[in-house]
Amino acid sequence: MSNTWQSPAMIKRIARRHAAERRFRLVGLGAIVLSLLFLAVLLFIMLKNGLGGLDWEFLSGSDATNADAAGVWGAVKGSFLTMLVTLLLSFPMGVLAAIYLEEFAPRNKWIDWVEVSINNLAAVPSIIFGLLGLAVFINTFNLPRSSPLVGGLTLALMTMPIIVISGRNAIKAVPPSIRNAALAVGASEVQTVFHHVLPLALPGILTGTIIGMARALGETAPLLMIGMRAFVATPASGITDPSSVLPMQIFLWSDEIDRGFVQNTSAAIIVLLMFLLAMNGLAIYLRNKFEVRW
Amino acid sequence: MSAPIVLLLILALGLVGWFTARARARLLYTGRGSMHSMPTYHAWHVVLWIVVPALLTWVLWTSVSPELINQAVLNDPAAAALPEEPMQRATILSEARSVAADPSFIGFTPLSTQLAEPMRAAQLRFGLLGAALVGIVALAGGGYAFTRVRSRFPARTRVERGVMLLLLGASLLAVLTTVGIIASLVFEAGLFFRDVSPIAFLTGTHWAPANAVGNDLDSNFGAVPLFWGTIYIGAIIAMIVAIPLGLMSAIYLTQYADARARKVLKPILEILAGIPTVVYGYFAALTMAPAIRDLASSLGYANPSTESALAAGLVMGVMIIPFVSSMADDAIAAVPRAMADGSLAMGATKSETIKKVLLPAALPGIVAGVMLAISRAIGETMIVVMAAGAAARLSADPLESMTTVTYQIVQLLTGDQEFNSPKTLSAFALGLVLFVVTLILNIIALRVVKRFREAYE
Repeated sequence: MSNTWQSPAMIKRIARRHAAERRFRLVGLGAIVLSLLFLAVLLFIMLKNGLGGLDWEFLSGSDATNADAAGVWGAVKGSFLTMLVTLLLSFPMGVLAAIYLEEFAPRNKWIDWVEVSINNLAAVPSIIFGLLGLAVFINTFNLPRSSPLVGGLTLALMTMPIIVISGRNAIKAVPPSIRNAALAVGASEVQTVFHHVLPLALPGILTGTIIGMARALGETAPLLMIGMRAFVATPASGITDPSSVLPMQIFLWSDEIDRGFVQNTSAAIIVLLMFLLAMNGLAIYLRNKFEVRW
Repeated sequence: MSAPIVLLLILALGLVGWFTARARARLLYTGRGSMHSMPTYHAWHVVLWIVVPALLTWVLWTSVSPELINQAVLNDPAAAALPEEPMQRATILSEARSVAADPSFIGFTPLSTQLAEPMRAAQLRFGLLGAALVGIVALAGGGYAFTRVRSRFPARTRVERGVMLLLLGASLLAVLTTVGIIASLVFEAGLFFRDVSPIAFLTGTHWAPANAVGNDLDSNFGAVPLFWGTIYIGAIIAMIVAIPLGLMSAIYLTQYADARARKVLKPILEILAGIPTVVYGYFAALTMAPAIRDLASSLGYANPSTESALAAGLVMGVMIIPFVSSMADDAIAAVPRAMADGSLAMGATKSETIKKVLLPAALPGIVAGVMLAISRAIGETMIVVMAAGAAARLSADPLESMTTVTYQIVQLLTGDQEFNSPKTLSAFALGLVLFVVTLILNIIALRVVKRFREAYE
């Protein structure tokens, strides 16, 4: 008992426990490295296959049956029009809903239902929104198939819950003292919210909106449901013309047998990832520049 | 009249109303306290009275005018030659509509070309009529509101009441979407279950919609192989990848990495969640599937298929890693610091503390996170569409091609068949099953997370 801590058995035991500790730590590091390695391989393969195809003709051309002549401009324009419709609908609606739920809603059963349905909508698989768009916008309202209008409407329903959730968090972060100060000098409740709370919450709301839009930009499955997979050789000139979008163009090209389309697909993926990178960069910039820590 | 022109007309009227009302209200202002509301509120009050009734009128008009136009065309002498059968009538009329919209369009029947001219005339007449109606309503509303521009009129209270209604309407849109999803899925699936018994659909093991003609519908719409494929790829293979990697990354990031490394590593890991699924799908099809096929053939498999459940499941698992990681991160962070400190003070090493104290305490949160991850994985579409294959089979071999619910929904709805066949309707039945399952998973998981947080507060 005199020297338990120095006994060979104890030293061995402690060494074993420390080795286990190091092993565990290595496994953790390994998990991260493995995940990041996968990301690196994915990006490397896309760059290797696609960089050669990125030139002006590719960026300014439209879809064609010949791999050399095909370009992404038609799809980029379609994506742009679709995102425009999505933004114009989901941003105001999402912000207004967030304001109502956070500032004015009475606490009762009805409002609980609204909250439950918003939280669930944010987790509904995107393909279900496609089924909704197909059944409602195309079969019931007879809106033009495969148009940016229907695509934008469908994606707006999908994006709105994301904007509502991030909007509510941003509004919640504005301290009550701001509201109390405005109310104390005689502003009405609506004036308090629209003149004081909303401007302060706006950077947070915008960050959430951009992230939601980035998700909508990469979305393919719901658009597949509403028929945006047709071969479109001329860029859409309005939101009711048939059009393709960038992720859909990637999907369509990936199905082509001609080897030339491997390069096109990878190049289109690079273009899409660039857009997403720019949007996320903007979101991070906005958050860092305007976010106020109360 | 086309939609943008009418909308612009309404907006222009609103703008005019805003400026005139504000100018008028400013004339009334004679000093502090002379008016109940500021001039701007009078202006907005007038705008509301112009825009809202006009928009409502226009929506109403667009919903009834196609019928009125059809009636007018049917009264045209050229329409006497139309066949009696309502289906054919409707087709010819819709063709005439296309010809009227675009003269270069060639209809299948010469009659539609003849009807195009009366159709265009009727469209123009009713369009102008509608625009006139909208204009009159807007002017009437604006005129009424304009007479209320008086110093004692509580314009601000009225405008704020309108804003409140707008806010309420916006938040009801979310409920409307949920109701719309449930209603459309239940309605179309109901049509499907009129032809195919729900029991045969949910328990049958043979899925071959292409053969489903005539009376043997029940035996060709057995969805069990699809459910199995979905669970096998999304809940088993993907989770075998995502749970260990996600959990261990979360442990490393929260417990071992220093603040600087965490600040760099975490956003990079999150990139995995931001990559569009179509990119993952392409990667799975282009790189993963051939690699797995080559591996299989070198292991002695005869004819391995290019599309395998393993390729889709692996890539899907990688996509889910950041999701599992951030859920586990939250769950571990919710465990009180004192528990870990107590364990460390007793002489346990860090890894022993994590394994024996933190993880058991965080388990409910982690399980809930995994449930959310599964609900996301089984609803994932593009990866399986591009990499998993179309063969509906009940098999536990990860190297075989396997199909999923989402894959079949895409397959069934992207052909060119008529809409109301059992084949297309079955997609909605599959969608309903998918929606219900993900909903249940989400509700249970959110409840567990909530209770778990409360337990440690």
